Amino acid sequence: MKKIGGVVVSHGQFANELLSAAEQVVGDIPHIAAVSIGWHDNVEVAQGEIQRAIKSVSSGNGVLLLTDMFGGTPTNISAMFIKENEVEVVTGVNLPMVIKLASQNKEMTLSEMAALVEEQGKQSIYKAADLLDPHKSKA
Amino acid sequence: MRTGDLAIINQLGLHARAAAQVVRLAGEFDSSILLVREDKSVYADAKSILSVLTLAASKGVVLRMEVEGPDEDHAFDAMTALFADGFGEMPSRR
Repeated sequence: MKKIGGVVVSHGQFANELLSAAEQVVGDIPHIAAVSIGWHDNVEVAQGEIQRAIKSVSSGNGVLLLTDMFGGTPTNISAMFIKENEVEVVTGVNLPMVIKLASQNKEMTLSEMAALVEEQGKQSIYKAADLLDPHKSKA
Repeated sequence: MRTGDLAIINQLGLHARAAAQVVRLAGEFDSSILLVREDKSVYADAKSILSVLTLAASKGVVLRMEVEGPDEDHAFDAMTALFADGFGEMPSRR
């Protein structure tokens, strides 16, 4: 099965650390890369790094860019690569989203995967007390 | 269908790495494997780590397991053994 590739793109070292946390949970994730955009990097340098990362994880089924925050530079630069069936961007990356993209078990299109990862990210946010003790928090 | 109870006995509970072990093992079988909290508030597909994590099963929690499919006996025994072993996190009994 050809997997959809992924690149986590963030301010600072967040992307590397997030990917490494995901690998601690599910093991090696060869189809996902991380790009950290330094505060002082210029746009061309950052673009080049993302371009190389996309190439390194692409297996022909498309690549999903997971960025840290809508409106930030990592997202804005990533958005330059958006192309139907080739590159999609989903913002607000969290650990469950990386794990979702890491554990692909059936073939799907890039846009289906992007929708799935977006949904997973939103659904994975809980006020923990509501989940751990539903009766107490309702009282 | 095979059903049974699984107790969480390791200190950290069903945390991320333990859940990853559950999912890896469950994925080896064709049968569907469902894990259910005692109060039936959460049902989890044992083949999805993000689903298993929502069980929020800490030490002392007992989960109901429901296994159904062609290799349900093997799957049931293997899963039971993994939980009984505390996901390999129990202090050695030497």
